[in-house]
Amino acid sequence: MAIHTQYKSVTEIHDAYDRKILSPIEFVRDYLNAMKSSGLNAYLTISEERALAQAKQADMMLAQHGKVPRDKKPLFGIPMAVKDNLVMDGVRTTAASKMLENYIPPYTATVVERLENAGAISLGKTNLDEFAMGGSNENSAFGAVKNPDALDRVAGGSSGGSAAAVRAQLCQFALGSDTGGSIRLPASYCGIVGLKPSYGRVSRYGLIAFGSSLDQVGPMTQSVEDAARVLDVMSGFDERDATSSPTPKGDYFNSLQKDLEWSSLKIGVPKEYFAEGLVPDVEKSVRESLKWFESKGAKLVPISLPHSPYSIAVYYIVAVSEASTNLERFDGVRFGVRPQGASEARDLEEFYKKVRANFGPEVKRRIILGTFALSAGYSDAYYKRACQVRNLIKMDFDEAFKKVDVIMGPVAPSTAYKIGEKSSNPLEMYLNDLYTIPANLAGLPGISVPCGKDSKGLSIGLQMMSPIFTEAKLLRIAHGFEKERASS
Amino acid sequence: MSTPYIVDGYEVVVGLEVHCQLATDSKIFCGCRARLEGGKSVADVESNSATCPVCTAQPGALPVLNKKVVEYAIKAGLATGCKINLKNIFARKNYFYPDSPKGYQISQFELPICENGFLNIETANGQKKINIQRIHMEEDAGKNLHRDGYSLVNLNRAGVPLVEIVSGPEMKSPEEAGAYLRALYAIVTYIGICDGNMQEGNFRCDANVSVMPKGSTKLGTRAEIKNVNSFRFVEKAIEFEAARQVELLQSGGKVVQETRLYDSTKNITVSMRSKEEAQDYRYFPDPDLVPVLLEQAFVDKIRESLPELPEQKRIRLASEFGINPQDAGLLTSSKSLADFFEKTLGLAVKGGAEKKSAAKSAANLINGEITRLLNEESIEIGRSKLTPAHMADLVQLVQASVVSSTGAKQVIAAVWKTGESVDAIVEREGLKQVSDVSSLEPAVDKVIAANPGPVAEFRAGKDKLIGFFVGQVMKETGGKANPGTIQELIKKKLLP
Amino acid sequence: MSDVPQLKASKVNEALTRQVANLARLELTDQEVTTFTSQLSDILAYVDQLQKLDVSKVEPLTHPFGTSIEALAPLREDIVKPFMTNAEGKPKVLDSAPEAYEDGFKVPPII
Repeated sequence: MAIHTQYKSVTEIHDAYDRKILSPIEFVRDYLNAMKSSGLNAYLTISEERALAQAKQADMMLAQHGKVPRDKKPLFGIPMAVKDNLVMDGVRTTAASKMLENYIPPYTATVVERLENAGAISLGKTNLDEFAMGGSNENSAFGAVKNPDALDRVAGGSSGGSAAAVRAQLCQFALGSDTGGSIRLPASYCGIVGLKPSYGRVSRYGLIAFGSSLDQVGPMTQSVEDAARVLDVMSGFDERDATSSPTPKGDYFNSLQKDLEWSSLKIGVPKEYFAEGLVPDVEKSVRESLKWFESKGAKLVPISLPHSPYSIAVYYIVAVSEASTNLERFDGVRFGVRPQGASEARDLEEFYKKVRANFGPEVKRRIILGTFALSAGYSDAYYKRACQVRNLIKMDFDEAFKKVDVIMGPVAPSTAYKIGEKSSNPLEMYLNDLYTIPANLAGLPGISVPCGKDSKGLSIGLQMMSPIFTEAKLLRIAHGFEKERASS
Repeated sequence: MSTPYIVDGYEVVVGLEVHCQLATDSKIFCGCRARLEGGKSVADVESNSATCPVCTAQPGALPVLNKKVVEYAIKAGLATGCKINLKNIFARKNYFYPDSPKGYQISQFELPICENGFLNIETANGQKKINIQRIHMEEDAGKNLHRDGYSLVNLNRAGVPLVEIVSGPEMKSPEEAGAYLRALYAIVTYIGICDGNMQEGNFRCDANVSVMPKGSTKLGTRAEIKNVNSFRFVEKAIEFEAARQVELLQSGGKVVQETRLYDSTKNITVSMRSKEEAQDYRYFPDPDLVPVLLEQAFVDKIRESLPELPEQKRIRLASEFGINPQDAGLLTSSKSLADFFEKTLGLAVKGGAEKKSAAKSAANLINGEITRLLNEESIEIGRSKLTPAHMADLVQLVQASVVSSTGAKQVIAAVWKTGESVDAIVEREGLKQVSDVSSLEPAVDKVIAANPGPVAEFRAGKDKLIGFFVGQVMKETGGKANPGTIQELIKKKLLP
Repeated sequence: MSDVPQLKASKVNEALTRQVANLARLELTDQEVTTFTSQLSDILAYVDQLQKLDVSKVEPLTHPFGTSIEALAPLREDIVKPFMTNAEGKPKVLDSAPEAYEDGFKVPPII
């Protein structure tokens, strides 16, 4: 059996290192082989040289210390995949766009720095929807990602490459980013754990921006336990990100050891999340999971988040408005691909247009929508109003959390659909995000944990959301669910 | 009674926007070097070397606000009587241009840091209050170098911090505009937020100019003359532009709202854009920056740290040293000059000089010969070889009539070049004035003897001729005679 | 409360699409203009449901965390960071330039 599929957690890997039955270099070599032959199109760039160099260093350190230096390097020798919208110095970073097909960044994202400093080994950059815009990973300029459980189906998006890599064990964990569900939804479709931290919990420095007031980087893992370990390293204030929060971070992995008081747990079940559009198999699996919580002593509290039906509308104004301006820097002047003839343009306008033809259709569509929503005469009616309704959505959550500790529901209305099935109608695609968008709008942490499979054997995810900066509690609940309940 | 500036029956209305580079060490949103010594532009170091992922807008880079920029902006607001908005917000101003790497400029729109201040200016018709609508923080753009067939972009200057100071459309003549700019310039250099080096672009003016029929209340369409970096050029540009607009209207044309540039060699303004202005900047709050939240205590501490402002200093110098308002105004036009004056006086008085007459001499020399030399070399007094110690010595000599006022100018010119002591120069160049009666008498007698006609007229009552005689004696003595003594001798000899 | 103008989906016409695309420096083929106009029209019609809500007393939310001073990141001290250079001592940002010339980013003529 291939080495890379034998280990399910950081704990197991460190144990194997300690017992000398596994070495970082052989581990990484095994991964690299598997990555090259997977056929999933999960990776866009394999950073072989870097990975091997880091693995060699880990080998030396292990020889020196005798045991894994867990305190100094909590993720010692753990192979990770990095979503290709996180920059890395010297490593091609494309955001799955022709625009950046040849871009080698001059710096590294804070989260990647922190993880590598903690011992993680970068295997490569994973595929995504172009500039993180999409829910199926079909919008990549370099081909769609296949769902490892059903190769004719989508892996979800935008962090489809990361989700598939984790599911197929082509890395021990992966980094994703989530603006409207881009970690949670692919995690749900691929049957893995995906956490979107609270807004401001993790640094965005080095994350190629999509929706600046919504984006967060988060871990995608095989278990909640690993997600907590990764969050411990990733999270915390970064002076290079003015939107990162100085609020003290939790002690995530250690707090998993604390017992959960099931009987005092109040779980909010929003009626709006079980309405029209939710596929029966998904609803059944989610409701069964909620019943399980009840059987442990938790209380299910029906709640209403009355403005949630407006979430998609708000998101597709706010996110695209921010994105339309975030993408203005792609002008071919300082980096990026200049298509044939661009440099010979007679004037600037022609130059810019030729360069920006590098964008794919979904990106163009969102740029136009966002530019429109901010333009003179429409800005108040669209952008400003959307921000006001965003506040109403957040206030709904504030009210709900006065009564409950955590809110649960589905992650997506369906399981993974077939590649090509939904890509012709953008609005239909957007409607898939209705359960995940609210957490981004309100800045709350949200996690997707596998809770079952549908009649075709496709994965279903259970979503949990808690108040801002309460990841420790959220992870404890998710961990309890994962540990004590076998998924069907 | 005011004398308005009217061009062929049209009034001129001018509003000024000043972009003032702040003298912080690092840029507004990143740690790159923002300036060189003496206010020299960081654009001058090796192209694109003072840059980083943030100011070159690499994907994933984020802005982080420099605290000192906020402090300096608050200082500017307090020094102009503005209200400081304890919560203020940065906004994205979107437009595509190679020197603006993000494709948007981070500026402030709906909630700027300062609002509703004012400045008093001195005009020929007395003091006038000009309102300052707002002061906001923003970032400077890079520089484009235009060559034949291509351009080169240098982003060293991108991200240098600016405050934009916007006046109301309240100036009614080129002179008023010039007075406003000089007063504002004095303030920002006084409070130390701006190096004041105009050649290097530390203080740049945009003038919005429109005309309307005399007595009208409806403002005309305005044209914006951008980036003029000399007060004189602003005045001349306004003069030209007003005339251009009036001529256009009189010939049946319409003034187009557009951006224009001032060409100083031809003294004309030229249109920059070919189509009518229709820039939609799509302003919205920048999501990468949180609102700037200030505590009143922080603002109060800054207020306490402000130095004496130009107007206060002008009033104080005038009353304390008995110099006239014009002279006081010129002295306080720059902080370094005013400091130089006060240090000089301090040393002179310590050395025994009489305060008010020493002040008058010093003021004359500083506002005259020294200012001329400073302007010629475009430097600050601190960079010249002339020190307050030199001046104090010189002023004492002038007061004691040892050196004449003409001689003093020569001394200054010499110290300027060599930095030698005043005494050494006076000795070497033989500038000691002769005041002793017995030494001068022969020359006086000679002149009287050589000019019987004027002597007769003088005796007959033509007092003005005293100047002629003084001049002649000065010629005779090679400029070394004390004019006062000459006058006394002439009067003694010729009058009963 | 003033009436918020409701943009009828029909007002989103091809001319508007072209105008907005131009603002964003995007070149669209005629086919794209048609497709995008109809897609944008659908999306805006969907988004128009926001006009139904009464937001007259609601502050726009631009950041999803609180606005107390303690919750926000502190401002940066005015300290200069060293120049960013590559192994040859040249500005590192030029390494990824599509066309660098004499240490500048080369672009078509601006004027």
